[in-house]
Amino acid sequence: MSEQVAVNKVAADAASTAQLVKLLLFSLSLGIVPIASYFGSLEYVWNGNATYAALTAVVGANIVLVGYIISSVLDDKRETSSPTKETKKTQ
Amino acid sequence: MSICPPYAPFFGFAGVASAMVLSTVGAAFGTAKAGIGIAGLGTFKPELIMKSLIPVVMSGIIAVYGLVVSVLISGSVLPDHYSLFAGFTHLGAGLACGCTGLAAGYAIGLVGDSCVRAYVQEQKVFVGMVLILIFAEVLGLYGLIVALIMNTKAISVDVC
Repeated sequence: MSEQVAVNKVAADAASTAQLVKLLLFSLSLGIVPIASYFGSLEYVWNGNATYAALTAVVGANIVLVGYIISSVLDDKRETSSPTKETKKTQ
Repeated sequence: MSICPPYAPFFGFAGVASAMVLSTVGAAFGTAKAGIGIAGLGTFKPELIMKSLIPVVMSGIIAVYGLVVSVLISGSVLPDHYSLFAGFTHLGAGLACGCTGLAAGYAIGLVGDSCVRAYVQEQKVFVGMVLILIFAEVLGLYGLIVALIMNTKAISVDVC
């Protein structure tokens, strides 16, 4: 019983480290992606048209947002399905 | 009374500053208010924290809108051959983006706080929360679109 508790705690620590890394990556990309896409698309894609470059930056920021929502929902589904698998193994 | 006075860039840079400052105030309020709710949720159900951070990410997007408009306007302000018309237009663009970002951040903060607290007790609130937050965020997007249109008008007219 105590062994299972210890294993669960180690798994939870590993999962929370992974979650922290994922959160850090999303925060950095929320800062980097809009500015990088603005200047990059201004230079290489739209030939100096600043309005289209700004729209590209906005689309990039919203893509990062949608990616965060999807990854958090998938995380939640993975967490709710794995405890039921563990209980089935112990039975 | 010239059309391109030397003090015209004052209004242009006032637009740049107001876009960044006001949208950041809105994003800060949204982050803080939603963060209070998330801290309350975290004591009861820590496994729900990742999904309940969505209001905070959306507040960050509001600040990104202000950043993009600031960078866009400051790329068009010139020391010379910059008309007062362009200065006023850039000021209006910055104020449009900044004040709508303030409103959107305020809405995201209040909605995020109460919906996150309700999410502890009822899991099905999540979809409704995301929909309400998206509608609150689109308010900031409208301000950004108006700022883009005004900026296009400012740089297209060449008078001196």
